Amino acid sequence: MLIGAMLLIPFVLSIFSLVIRKERALGITNAFGYGSLLVICVLFTNNFLARQHPLSLWGWLYIDSLSVFFMLTTAVVAFAASVYSISYIRSETEENKISIHKAGAYFHLFNLFCFTMLLVPLLNNLALVWIAIEMTTLVSAFLVGFHNVKESIEAAWKYIIICSVGITFALLGVIFFYYTSSTHAGIKSLEWVKMLEGARFFEPKIVKIALLFIFVGYGTKAGFAPMHNWLPDAHSQALSPISGLLSGVLLKISLYAILRFVMLANLSVGYAFSAKLFVLFGLCSLGVAAGFILVQKDLKRLLAYHSVEHMGVISVGLGFGALGGIYAALFHVFNHAVTKAFMFFCAGNAVRAYRTNNMNKMQGMIQLMPFAGIAIFLGAFALGGLPPFSIFMSEVLILIAGFVSKQYLVSALMFIFLAIAFAGLVHHISKIALGSKPQSMPRQKETLSIKFALLFLGIFILGLGLKIPNLFFILLSSCQKLILGQ
Amino acid sequence: MALAFLLSGFLITAFLMTIAKRITALIRTFRLQSIFLFLYTLAMAITGKHIELFIICVSILILKVGIIPYVLTRIVRRINVEENLELAVNPQLSLIVALLLTYLSYIFTHRIMSFSESMGSTVFAVSIAMICIGFFIMVSRMKALSQVLGLLTMENGIFLAAAAITGGMPFFVEIAFFFDIFVFVIIIEIFVYRVNRLFSHIDISKMKSLKG
Repeated sequence: MLIGAMLLIPFVLSIFSLVIRKERALGITNAFGYGSLLVICVLFTNNFLARQHPLSLWGWLYIDSLSVFFMLTTAVVAFAASVYSISYIRSETEENKISIHKAGAYFHLFNLFCFTMLLVPLLNNLALVWIAIEMTTLVSAFLVGFHNVKESIEAAWKYIIICSVGITFALLGVIFFYYTSSTHAGIKSLEWVKMLEGARFFEPKIVKIALLFIFVGYGTKAGFAPMHNWLPDAHSQALSPISGLLSGVLLKISLYAILRFVMLANLSVGYAFSAKLFVLFGLCSLGVAAGFILVQKDLKRLLAYHSVEHMGVISVGLGFGALGGIYAALFHVFNHAVTKAFMFFCAGNAVRAYRTNNMNKMQGMIQLMPFAGIAIFLGAFALGGLPPFSIFMSEVLILIAGFVSKQYLVSALMFIFLAIAFAGLVHHISKIALGSKPQSMPRQKETLSIKFALLFLGIFILGLGLKIPNLFFILLSSCQKLILGQ
Repeated sequence: MALAFLLSGFLITAFLMTIAKRITALIRTFRLQSIFLFLYTLAMAITGKHIELFIICVSILILKVGIIPYVLTRIVRRINVEENLELAVNPQLSLIVALLLTYLSYIFTHRIMSFSESMGSTVFAVSIAMICIGFFIMVSRMKALSQVLGLLTMENGIFLAAAAITGGMPFFVEIAFFFDIFVFVIIIEIFVYRVNRLFSHIDISKMKSLKG
């Protein structure tokens, strides 16, 4: 019931945005819609955790704690993005960067995008998960190429083509899984529940090949290096609220798909095989991203590469596995989602005020706009992983899991790459935030909706760093149990 | 016998695509390949006598033989694409690479998969070869449309692979995939027009504004 209402909201809002032609009214309805979506989502999580039972709905949907966790993450970031969109789109239309007509199109696509992202973790059929993920690419490509200028169209093209190729490989992986499930386990279905029952009988050799394709395929979309080429382009060219959603949620939705297959593979080849792949891709992403972060000139690309870095952290955490690694990695999924969205929103303000993405031309942001300036400055420390912010907590937990599972070399490498990325990030951001503002620029007015969006995310960033709520702890622990098949 | 004819059809069309010098030739060859795919599913439908297989068959005919080549030729006509594909890898070398990929696909199939009957394994090897060749076309041709055609060849290969090793995916899954390909092609069309309007060409290798 609640789930039905939840999926209906973005759908209804997307139709709304075709009818209403006032961008401000549209933005506010949108924000209220996502507010109620978040409330419903929290209520559902509460109910769900009280029962602790996987839920099958209408034969199409299957909801366990992993689905709930990813759904909750999506809802939180989507709400913040919808609030931020109000004034972002308003000022874009006031500056005549986009027409009223296009503002309607923006909200329409925003809702479709959120709808597909919310749908992915709920679907029972793994082929439909594949299709929903492809749909997220196709819908968000319009949001990446929204401004219709050379750079953004180039980014959108790269995004569509590279992600479609990636996902084609993932489809091959799905077919391999279907093959072994139908011939070795006798289950002629791609429904997750049925496949899980027969997963013990899967042929290990084929599962390994299939898992490789799944990792490369969905990994392309999850931003794992070396398939990450499209990511900095797409995330830097998209509108800032969308960048937040892309970096914060979409990458993780793809990771969710990988986790589903890992859970199937566990029963025939064990978690150790998947763990090796996770560590491999994780270290690769960490290394590549650390290099690019140091030499970056473009603010939004800097943040995009930082997403690659954090996908690496999450992946390594998943690789550490049984001894708290998965718990910590999933915790990091949430922390990175809120922090990265927070940073992209601040960056969006900076880019709009300075009218450039080039960090060398930005200075004195705290003087120019105190709220967003201080936010981006603190956010850099949060994103880099300093206490008392939440990313520090999850990174420390991942490192502890690494040491407990005796993976000293991997942990040390991860620590070094993180240190490099931290240095790069703080160096760049402090140059932007501190100093005196350009003489010619007046102090910018900061609207309420932006402040509210930043405060909302800020509560999570700081709050989860100080204390993990009991409910959240139960949710994450049951996810870890689920993934390990305990 | 008939199956052998169809399988060589798949391979020959894939090879032809690697050496095609003009975009229209590439589209025509893709259409031919889709006709072979149609015939293959038709043969399966006739032996299997499933109404669902016939529906899939007809969808292939409509989508892959009809709509997709039509949309692609429409793009070519509307924006006067420069016909020449400027191969980054010359035809002879492309053909050698394609042959090598086919050989590797055979080895992969024999090492990894354990088929009871030899025909299934041949079909699977051909489909893997098509996927690899499609990927090769994508990376060796930096024109927007040839990238799309490479991707579509990969999808044809995947479709064949699914048919070879599993006897086809569940019905509604197949239909959903068709829908997905359809949406993909339509969206690609929109973006090709935008690329063309802004860059006045659709040469991906000349897009260089985003780096680092």
